[in-house]
Order: sequence, then C-alpha cells, then structure tokens
Amino acid sequence: MKTSRTARGTAEARLGRAVARLAGFVAGVVGALLLLPSGAAAHGVVLDHRPVEGVEVRAAFDTGEVMDEAQVSVFAPEDASEPWETGTTDERGRYLFVPDASRPGTWTVQVRQAGHGSIVNVTVEEDAGVTGADGFSGGGYGALQIGLMAAAGVWGFVGTALFFMRKK
Amino acid sequence: MIGTGDSTGRRAGLSAILLCLAALAAAALAGCGGASEPEESPEAGEGSGTLEVRADGEERARDGFVSKDGWALDFEHVYVTFSGVTAYQSDPPYTPEDGENVQAAEEVSFEEERTVDLAQGDDAETSVPVAEDDEAPAGHYNALYWRMAPASGGPAGDASLLLAGTAEKDGEAVEFELSVDREYEYYCGEYVGEERKGILEDSGEAELEATFHFDHLFGDETSDDPGLNEAALGFEPLAEAAEDGRIAASMDELRELLPEEDYEKLEGELPTLGHVGEGHCYEANSGATG
Repeated sequence: MKTSRTARGTAEARLGRAVARLAGFVAGVVGALLLLPSGAAAHGVVLDHRPVEGVEVRAAFDTGEVMDEAQVSVFAPEDASEPWETGTTDERGRYLFVPDASRPGTWTVQVRQAGHGSIVNVTVEEDAGVTGADGFSGGGYGALQIGLMAAAGVWGFVGTALFFMRKK
Repeated sequence: MIGTGDSTGRRAGLSAILLCLAALAAAALAGCGGASEPEESPEAGEGSGTLEVRADGEERARDGFVSKDGWALDFEHVYVTFSGVTAYQSDPPYTPEDGENVQAAEEVSFEEERTVDLAQGDDAETSVPVAEDDEAPAGHYNALYWRMAPASGGPAGDASLLLAGTAEKDGEAVEFELSVDREYEYYCGEYVGEERKGILEDSGEAELEATFHFDHLFGDETSDDPGLNEAALGFEPLAEAAEDGRIAASMDELRELLPEEDYEKLEGELPTLGHVGEGHCYEANSGATG
C-alpha cells in the first residue's frame, strides 16, 4: 500500500508539475499576445468577404444637384447625442453603412453641406440579419482573439488533467 | 515525502489554474475594453426637465448681408410673432412630407402669443427666447410647430413679420419697413445642425430652434445655390418702388407697388422662411416645403 501510494503520489506530483509548466506556458503566450499591438506581427494581407445587409443614403438638393462630399452623421437608436458613425458622401452623393443589427429601432442619418441639410430615418428590424464589423470567418482575428481561443482550448486540457488528479 | 510530493503537485496545479484564470480575465477585460455601452437616450415619460424654444434669424438678420442683386441690407428690427408653439416627441419621426400629420407620443404647447426681434441676437447668444416649460416630459423632441400670425399689438403692430432697416447700393440708400400681415403655419421635423437639439433628460435642459432663412426672400450674393437666388425676390424691385429713398408697405400695398411677377415671388418665398436649423418645414397654408 505504502509503495503504491508513494508511486501514485510521485506520478501525481509529476503530472501536477507538467500541468503547471503547460499552463504557465499558455499564460505566458496569452500575456505576450496581449502586450503585442494588434497586427504588429502581420506582414501579409488577408482579405475576406461576406454579404451584408446595409443602408445606402443618396443625397441631392431639391434641384437634383448631387450633394457630393457632404457631411454624414449616423445616430443609433437609444443614443441620440453621439454619432455612431460619421463620414462623407461620395462623388455621386451616396453614403453606405451597415447598421448594428443588435440595436434594432430607428437609425437617424443626417446629411449637411454648405448650410443645407436634412435627416432621414431608417428602421432596422431585430431579425434583419445585419451584423456590424464582426462575423467574418477566419483571417480576421487579431492577436487578442487568437490568444483567448488558445487559452480556452488549453483550459479544457488543464481541467481534464485536474479532474483525474483530484483526491478520491 | 509523499505528502510533500502530493501537496507540491496540487499547489502547482492550483497556481496554474490561478495563472490561467488571471490571463483569461485580463484577456476578457482587454477584449471588452473598446466596447463601451452606449449612453441611452431618455425614454418618453421618465421624469421632466426644462424645454426652451428659441428663434434665430442667423447672421443675416443680426449682421446684415448682401442681396443677390447687390444691395447691402442692414436690419434694425426683424419682428416675428409666434403663437401656438408646440414641441413634439414624434413617433415615428416627423418629416415635412408628412404634412400636418405629426404622430406625437408627447407634446408641449405654448399657447400665448409672443413677438421677438431676430435682429437683436449677438455673437454670444445668437438666438432669442420664445417660450419655456420647466416641467416638460423627458424625451427626444424631434418635431416643432409654430404659427406666425398677425400680432395683436406691440412693436410689430399687426404684422406676423416686420422687416425694418436700410439697404445701400452704389451710394444710394433706401429705408424699408415691410409689414407682412399674413398667417403662416410651420410643421418642422428634427433640428439639423452642428449638434442635435431637443434631447431632454430628467432634470435636464434642452432647446429647440425655429430658424428663419432670409436669403430665401432677398437672395444672397455669396450663395453658391443658383436655385435659391433665382426664386428669391432680391431687393431691387423694392428699391424701384421706393419714394424719396423710403418704402413702408403692407402686403396689400406691395401687391399694388410691385410688378405682378415680383409680387408672386415675394408671396411664394415668404412661406419658405421657416426652418429648424438647416432642416426644412412644411407650411400648411401654402403647402410649400422650403
């Protein structure tokens, strides 16, 4: 009994130290990734695409003249004071934005140029299927997201190891 | 030794867990750092605050401007008479295309008549007060109505709009006093400008603005909008109708004094004076949106 208990204790200790080293390594990697500025290690270019449901605003004077390079402010529902996004119309008076589908309601778009301006309100339904800047598959993850995914994966191994080394 | 080996292994495992948890917590915190919760706008009916309606004739009314036909206009008085001013929390938001149909979740009305002088603003306070309610329901006031009706006395006499001042061109000066005694009803949507107006929080303050664009009447030499100047009357027809360097006339008198085409321009542009900042309004009596 004494011999087998000693052997089991030694094995548990080894396993514990191994787990500690592995977890320490993972924590170090995550910490290092957190300290890296996003994209600091990236030299290549990764492009991806996805179809999205967006809103196109076209601005023109009532004479029909296009309002190009006009100032645009987009306000999300429930946040009337601060613009959610700002920009300018293109040479054809167009401005395209993709509203955050997690914020359904009335989105307000204000377009102004040279003392003239107007507002248009756009209703975004809850199940519009429009997403914001995230949701791309692969290639679009930053160091932080990769670190989190790695840590989450390793945490599964650590948890499994701790389950088997628990005192009966 | 066994106990030592066991406890060392467990302590190491525990340390590992804590290390991983710390790393994960740090990562989660860092990941959430850029996504702050948006500041929510006040919901209608949650408390009350002070809502003020102001009027602004822009720099043109305060400092003067040069008309499309080269007359330097300087206003001594720009009297506007308001009545029935009403601020709305419109849901859905009102646009001038809706005509007189404002679907208000909340509204604040100011029935009393008030005449203000838009020429009296200054750089520090460009607009002048029209009405105020210090117990207005909180919420977003995104529509405004006012009636510009003939005054029942006071400095404007019986005018809804009285323009008094001097015009100069090439050494010639003309004193003018134009008394508009017609009624106009403006339905306007949200204020359009540098900042959003009308957002009233509980115990807070908010303002709305009735804005008057006098370049619609006289044109503006500096305007890059040819459509605006083409529709405007300018000042030359009024200068030609002046006698001994002065013209003081009501609308009925102007109908007699001005060529028919010019009077029609004047009559057609007066309903387009009312705005909310740069935003347009619907004028109910003419059906014009200007």
